[in-house]
Amino acid sequence: MEILKVDNLRKVYGSGEAKVEAVKNVSFSMQKGEFGAVVGASGSGKSTLLNCIGGLDNADSGRVYLNGKDILAMGENERTVFRRQNIGFIFQAFHLIPELDVEQNIIFPLLLDYRKPDREQVEELLEVLGLQDRRRHLPGQLSGGQQQRVAIGRALVARPALILADEPTGNLDSQSSQDVMDLLCKASRRYSQTVLMITHNMNLTSAADRVFRVTDGVLEELGGVQQ
Amino acid sequence: MTHYLDLVTASAKQHKKQSRMTRLCIVLAVFLVTVIFSMADMEMRSQMAQAVKSDGSWHVGFGVDEEQWALLAARPEVEKLARYGSLNYHLRDGWFMGDYETGICGFDRELLDIFPAAEIIEGEFPSGPGETVINELTRIKLGLGIGDTAVLRTPRGDLREYRITGIASDTALTAKHDACMMFLNLEDFGQLYREDTGEAKELVAFVVYRPFCNIQKATEEICCQLGIEQGMVRQNVKVITLMFQSRDSYMMGFYFVAAVLAVLVMAAGVLMITSSMNSDIARRTEFFGMLRCLGATGKQVIRFVRREALGWCKSAIPAGVLAGVAVTWGLCGMLRLLSPGLFDGMPVLGISLPGVGAGVVIGLTTVFLAAKRPARRAAGVSPLTAVSGNAGTVQAAKRAANTWLFRVDTALGVHHAIGSRKTLFLVTGSFAFSILLFLSFSTAIDFMYHAITPLRPSAPDYYGYSGDTSNSMPGELAAELGEYPFVKRAFGRSCGEAVWQTEGEQRVLTVISYDEQQFQWAKKGLLEGSLPDAVEGRGLLLAWHEGDLPSVGDSVFLLCGEDGRETSVAGILSDVPFTYGTGGDTGSGGELAICSEDLFRELFGETGYAVIDIQFRPGVTDAQVQELRRTVESRCGEGIAFSDRRISNREVKGAGYSLAVFLYGFLAVIALIAFFNIVNCIAMSVSARMREYGAMRAVGMTVRQLVRMVWGEALTYTFFGVIFGCLGGLPLNRLLFGWLVTERWGDAWEMPGRELLVILSVMACAVFLAVRGPARQIRGMSVVETL
Repeated sequence: MEILKVDNLRKVYGSGEAKVEAVKNVSFSMQKGEFGAVVGASGSGKSTLLNCIGGLDNADSGRVYLNGKDILAMGENERTVFRRQNIGFIFQAFHLIPELDVEQNIIFPLLLDYRKPDREQVEELLEVLGLQDRRRHLPGQLSGGQQQRVAIGRALVARPALILADEPTGNLDSQSSQDVMDLLCKASRRYSQTVLMITHNMNLTSAADRVFRVTDGVLEELGGVQQ
Repeated sequence: MTHYLDLVTASAKQHKKQSRMTRLCIVLAVFLVTVIFSMADMEMRSQMAQAVKSDGSWHVGFGVDEEQWALLAARPEVEKLARYGSLNYHLRDGWFMGDYETGICGFDRELLDIFPAAEIIEGEFPSGPGETVINELTRIKLGLGIGDTAVLRTPRGDLREYRITGIASDTALTAKHDACMMFLNLEDFGQLYREDTGEAKELVAFVVYRPFCNIQKATEEICCQLGIEQGMVRQNVKVITLMFQSRDSYMMGFYFVAAVLAVLVMAAGVLMITSSMNSDIARRTEFFGMLRCLGATGKQVIRFVRREALGWCKSAIPAGVLAGVAVTWGLCGMLRLLSPGLFDGMPVLGISLPGVGAGVVIGLTTVFLAAKRPARRAAGVSPLTAVSGNAGTVQAAKRAANTWLFRVDTALGVHHAIGSRKTLFLVTGSFAFSILLFLSFSTAIDFMYHAITPLRPSAPDYYGYSGDTSNSMPGELAAELGEYPFVKRAFGRSCGEAVWQTEGEQRVLTVISYDEQQFQWAKKGLLEGSLPDAVEGRGLLLAWHEGDLPSVGDSVFLLCGEDGRETSVAGILSDVPFTYGTGGDTGSGGELAICSEDLFRELFGETGYAVIDIQFRPGVTDAQVQELRRTVESRCGEGIAFSDRRISNREVKGAGYSLAVFLYGFLAVIALIAFFNIVNCIAMSVSARMREYGAMRAVGMTVRQLVRMVWGEALTYTFFGVIFGCLGGLPLNRLLFGWLVTERWGDAWEMPGRELLVILSVMACAVFLAVRGPARQIRGMSVVETL
């Protein structure tokens, strides 16, 4: 079942001589439960592509369909609500809310929807993430690896169709990086969620079902350029 | 770039927008301080101008003889000196010109420079023997002019003739007492004095000291050297007080209160700059950490921050000063417009050096003091923290937000406000401080309205009264006078004395009648009881005074002449602005009661008035006033005296205007401080958390939710600010009100609802605008760029 469809996506920064085409007519699609990894050099356009897919940034042209709905055609407010219900984000710098404890950070997207979290689901998630004994800790009291596990929990809690991870292991040591990768794969399998992850580390791509490379804004699937 | 500090200029160019808020804060604080000090300076100048106009510019007057006079003139600290003597000062010693009691003054020509009110408007000062200057009223009453001969009849019945060489304007005092005046040179005056009293003339030497002279010390030295007794020395209290040279204990207390309030206002300005600079520098902790990474020492970072602050001062301080000066010019112009004539001496485009100086010094000092702590903080950031991206711009939270009590957006907003006790204390403290200042200052407005009576709507411009305190003016005359087109309002009062029988003692009560209009004016001063009861003649209104007063509703038995009658106390008035009797005094100084005209008639059986007050329309001429006077004289016959209050009303009204401009201006400045402080605090808090907001937006928080979060924060600060402000401000308001008003006029303290409403409305407006700005910023925020 096709979850994500990116169609002819294009993003340009600047104008005139300073014009940079960060994403050049990218098109690809992903099925439910697929784990995709995107690699590429610094400044190649990976993050821009991910931000456009997640609706954090506007594209100059093209379409991004998630569950059949075009994100880029939505208004700002509608897109935000759609994002928190259908897309989970994981950032390199974690971006947790410092005033919320572990549990509150995880259920944050549900709270934004003014929904009451399902206790069992939260407990299960805390268990999966290994954060049961840290639930009342604030982000400032956690290690980097623990913080990233909280960020993963936050991305998973609303059971989104798509999880976008921008170098989730970039700030972590090798052990923590491996833990995070295991978690992501486990979640992807357990909840049949589609994951698209940016990474510099080619070793981490081994866990992925599909690997893409971005070079100067052009996306190709390793082994053949995607249409 | 040749020096690492050149980075300051380069960085400032790049981050102009980021430092805009801090620069604006410095501009505002400097502006406010400049305006406050300029306004205080301007108020002093205008009060001084009025004091000089009404009382003269002299500092000290000494009772001296010829020898002492010569020694006094030789003193180095004396700048101006003039002798003055008077005869028939109280207009009851039998000196007449025509049928009018005449006051006679003899003085040196130099006195005219010291008393600008006694200006010679036509002709010249009498230089030769047998010459005189008369005042305007004398000219009108006797129909005399320059070159005519004025004949003075002495108490012994001798006649003295003087050639009139000039006409002097009427002063507030001569107009008030309807006095004929004759001004002589000292030689003629001395001769007249000798002939009348057989003694050498007694003169007062009015002294104006040189600038920067210690007046009290110089006066003591002069008294000691010339052997002048303290009883022979008088001081021009108003002028000396305005020069900050008074030793009067009440004035010393006043200086102290003024100084404390000035410091409080300055503190509010300082708080504003400090908080904005703290936030601005804290927001760039990462940048300073990066400088440390690149090898800058802690001292170099401190130097960098200080240089940057100096750079802001270069443009912000002149801008603040210019804005302050412009507003001061506007206020000076307004005063001249409000009271033309009185403030002519005040320069519209004058610059107040104390105001500008205070603005610059306080601006510079505050910026440097404010930069100190953040600079140290920036210098203390470890290079590792700076580069790891963890040098949070916001202090790490110590406890989690309460998401059970509020929705998550509101909960986060509330938590942003109360998360850090220090920030909560500082921000709510500054909010509360504004309320406290506003409530404290508002008592000065109450004080002003009590102290300056002519500003009341009831103040007459002119009044006629029966010299023997009888109710001999026809009751219908007031209505007739009211028909004149130049008369705005004419109203009369009857007056009688009753004996008031209370527990074992008899007290004299002066009873005054009020018409409907006067009762309406009295409404504001009603401390307790019922005004309608008094209007309808069911009882008396007693004027409040210290001591034994009957309660409202008590019956009182009044003996009016031979008849006695029982009536009741309908209410208590804080004071009675109308005066009665010669010279406008209430006569006995005893107890006063007000009743309706009908009740008065029942009590005393009289329908006439003892006083008729007249209020004129603007632009009334002296000839019209004389016409009205002739009408009264023709209707009432002999024995009617007049008092012209137009000049004194104008003078006190002018003083009232300038005081009102100053006090209301001060209140406006405090409200402005509160306003900008709130806007600034919220804007700073939001801009410090922009990155966090970006993350929230990324994980699905809508703009509306973010704005609600900012509302939560702003309202939390305001809530605590209002609570603490009221907790501190209301008792202080009550204390100051008691000290300034209750003690003198008896008004009971009431909850200052109107003042609270004003300051809370200002705060509500500020909160609304404070949220609006950041909301726009949040709406325009790019999530990708913010992250």
